[in-house]
Amino acid sequence: MKIFIIGAGQVGSTIVEALHGEHELTVVDVDASRLEALSSRFDIGTVEGDGTSRRMLADAGLAGSDLLIACTSRDEVNIIASIFCRALTPSTRTIVRTGNEEYLDVWRERQLDVDWVVSSEREAALAVSQTIGVPAARQTDVFADGQVQIVEFDVVAPSRKVADKGVSIMKAAEEAATRPKKARFEDVVGRPLREAAIPADSKVASIIRENEIAIPRGEEKIRPGDRIVVIGSPTAARQWSELLTPTRRKVNDVVIFGAGRMGIATARVLLQQGIRVRLIESEAERAKEVAELLPGVRVFHATGVDPEFLERERIGMSDAAVFAMREDAKNYYAATLAKLHGVQSTIAIVHDTVSMEVFERAGVDVAINPRLITAEEIVRFARDPRTKQVTMLEQDRFEILDITVRPESELAGKQFRELPMTGSLIGAVVREGRALFPHGDDVLEAGDRAIIFTPSSRVQEVERTL
Amino acid sequence: MLGVDVLGSLNLVGALIKYLSLSTLFPIAFAIGYSESVWPFVLAGLVGGGFGWTLERLTQGKEQVGIREGFLVVSMTWLLAAGLGALPYMFSGEDQFSSPVNAYFEAMSGFTTTGASVVTDVEALPHSLAMWRQLTQWLGGMGIIVLFLAILPRLRVGGRQLLEHELPGPEFEQLTARIRDTARRLWALYVALTVAEFVTLTLLGWTGVDDEMSPYEALAHALTTMPTGGFSTEARSIEAFGAATQWVIVGFMVAAGMNFALLYRGLVRRQPRALVRDEELRLYVTLLLAGSALLLAELWTEGVIRGEEAVRVGTFQVVSLMTTTGYASADFNLWPVFAAIVLIAVMFFGGSAGSTSGSVKVVRHLLIGRILRRELDQTVHPEIVSRVRLNGVPMEERTLRGISSFVLLYVGVFALGTFALMADGARIDLDLRVVDGLAAAATTIGNVGPALGFAGPMGSFDPFSGASKLVMILLMWLGRLEIIPVAVLFSRHYWRV
Repeated sequence: MKIFIIGAGQVGSTIVEALHGEHELTVVDVDASRLEALSSRFDIGTVEGDGTSRRMLADAGLAGSDLLIACTSRDEVNIIASIFCRALTPSTRTIVRTGNEEYLDVWRERQLDVDWVVSSEREAALAVSQTIGVPAARQTDVFADGQVQIVEFDVVAPSRKVADKGVSIMKAAEEAATRPKKARFEDVVGRPLREAAIPADSKVASIIRENEIAIPRGEEKIRPGDRIVVIGSPTAARQWSELLTPTRRKVNDVVIFGAGRMGIATARVLLQQGIRVRLIESEAERAKEVAELLPGVRVFHATGVDPEFLERERIGMSDAAVFAMREDAKNYYAATLAKLHGVQSTIAIVHDTVSMEVFERAGVDVAINPRLITAEEIVRFARDPRTKQVTMLEQDRFEILDITVRPESELAGKQFRELPMTGSLIGAVVREGRALFPHGDDVLEAGDRAIIFTPSSRVQEVERTL
Repeated sequence: MLGVDVLGSLNLVGALIKYLSLSTLFPIAFAIGYSESVWPFVLAGLVGGGFGWTLERLTQGKEQVGIREGFLVVSMTWLLAAGLGALPYMFSGEDQFSSPVNAYFEAMSGFTTTGASVVTDVEALPHSLAMWRQLTQWLGGMGIIVLFLAILPRLRVGGRQLLEHELPGPEFEQLTARIRDTARRLWALYVALTVAEFVTLTLLGWTGVDDEMSPYEALAHALTTMPTGGFSTEARSIEAFGAATQWVIVGFMVAAGMNFALLYRGLVRRQPRALVRDEELRLYVTLLLAGSALLLAELWTEGVIRGEEAVRVGTFQVVSLMTTTGYASADFNLWPVFAAIVLIAVMFFGGSAGSTSGSVKVVRHLLIGRILRRELDQTVHPEIVSRVRLNGVPMEERTLRGISSFVLLYVGVFALGTFALMADGARIDLDLRVVDGLAAAATTIGNVGPALGFAGPMGSFDPFSGASKLVMILLMWLGRLEIIPVAVLFSRHYWRV
């Protein structure tokens, strides 16, 4: 693939490092010295220039590329570059990095014409959530007023302890794969789907594994390391989330130091998992804003390095503490102090690559670098079978359709088990405003709104039949 | 240097009184229909209209009044509206309104939708005068200013401040971008509900379900239910009517105690969810049910009444007093003291903000509870930062302070009022128990209506001395405008530049 990367900062460099061997890369940045540093190490093309200049993008040869990765630290630059890209060459896929979760929501509502948006804050938050032992849904699409959800999960191998000292998340996950599994987890993962104890009112819509994506048949198994897409009721989605939580110990009290965007994003993700969150912020104004923004969080206006405060609020008794302040040095100090007060698990969000090592050496349990994770996620997307298929074989993409069954359809009035297997899956049916999750002997009726998971190649066929 | 445009304010007040005088036409129709004297109303209309016109002429008004003038305009308008209301009573030559204080008391009780009365024999009043009594409550219920805001072009600008002083409750929900449209919608809903009640009650009469209910009675009671007023044309209040009528009135009283903006969204815009999710409405219904259950238990165990009647009577009294309507379907004066205490207690709840009811209002109780809970939280966790929310929306700290001061003022004024009534009662050797004094102060500041003892639901406020009546007039006025718009007039900072 020809990949065009805008931004040669930490994220851009990491992506280059990961992808330079297999793809043809062109990197754009305003800073010539950064480009030089990169081109001296890797065999890539570089262009010095501004990503928001349309002429520059055209001249640099964007038109011939398969994928644009706009990953500067400035949201607006990334978004403008992707808009120009769409106009210049509509077939080029676009990835935008953003620091603002609102853009992520806008994109999910399909109001931002970009193929994929990745937020460092959200990625860091998901990483924290996973480290603590409660993997959150990566993405949720909502249909029929929230009665039907389509949720994407990472299936992480179970680990017994929250995280071991000095072990990065990746390593922890690898090691954990060989450990004994929790009963409920085991009932689903690793078993043929037809035997697995899948939560009621839900279906596995697809399994994404390394180089393949498929609508699974009954004999297929979910394995650790897979990414799965589930369609079901909100209750079922919650059950899936619980079921995929591999830790035994229930985490229910997490303290977050620093209410910046990282802290907020983390708090949000944890809150969604039903975890009690306490936030400590040293700026009075900010603390007030956050208290307004997140009703479910206990917000404290304190420095977080005041031993008396830590003692009075029994911070030491919390299950985990997340350090998300702006300066690495402050996080380092606060984490050390919290450890002294007895916090079992400390997770630091660090900004410098060097800090990772410093932190983990010094006894902080896990250090998470949002930029590195973001880069990893972008690389993962670039290698994702869905992206590959999209770029190579446009016809093999999967789509979610929301179709009302016409009375003259030949399938109306038939039982679900009688419906032809066309590689598509009816995940849910909305009848008279209520969502149903059909079983084999239920009947498809005219006027039903069917939510269907299907490969792009079959979209027209499905629409015609219904 | 005076910082308030007094002449400009009086100019507007004059104009408002001038237009309000037109309301005397309504009883004139009844006077003609029942062959009674039209003169009390013609005279009142001429005097009131002439007064307003002169006041307007003598002063100069600008296109709009400022925020500061708003307090003065609203306070004065209500004081003078009651003056206008008193004129027909005075001109009627009725013995029951022998003194101007009595007439003024009756009028203030009318416009503020209190329903306390100095009348000793209501059935002896001419139909037209009785209907005037009912009408004053109906006009005062949704608010005089709100009415003029809806129809007078002059109040197009700057009307919002005026409206805020008049509409009960800490925060005002605007239904539309233009304040005038909001006022129109509120009034339209108010009229529609009044008509609905009139039609329902008339039908009960026609179909023979309730023989006592004539169209005249139906209109009279429709005019005083929706404003949570409580004046009745019957000496025995609602006790005079049958069970079906009583239940219908319970329903309309409950509606009258609901937030009209919310009711509008639920009924007209068909957003029933907005109703179900509203925290104030939930607490309002809970309190109504809890109060009714408590009273029912007391009545039942004490053997006062039993069966369907006990449920109906218990519910009716709690709904009537909590929504500050003040109708009675039984003489609760004769009930055990515990029942009386329950009834005085619910007087302090009031209906919802943005309803026509008086008293403290449910939302303030709700928020005071949350403010106190936060105080306790902050005592234990000094660094905690938390916002008090209503329906999930964080409240401004200023609004919360306003609520705390209001409740403090309310309790303070109530205590002072009780003291004044008790002291004055002792002076003239009045048969006033402590519980009666408490009830009289609570019922007037809360715009409820009946008290206990001689001023009970079937009694009259006439035995009180003139001084006591003036105190209660003051309490009703303060209660209707929720104290603060009146109280600021007594501060030096208001008048200075």
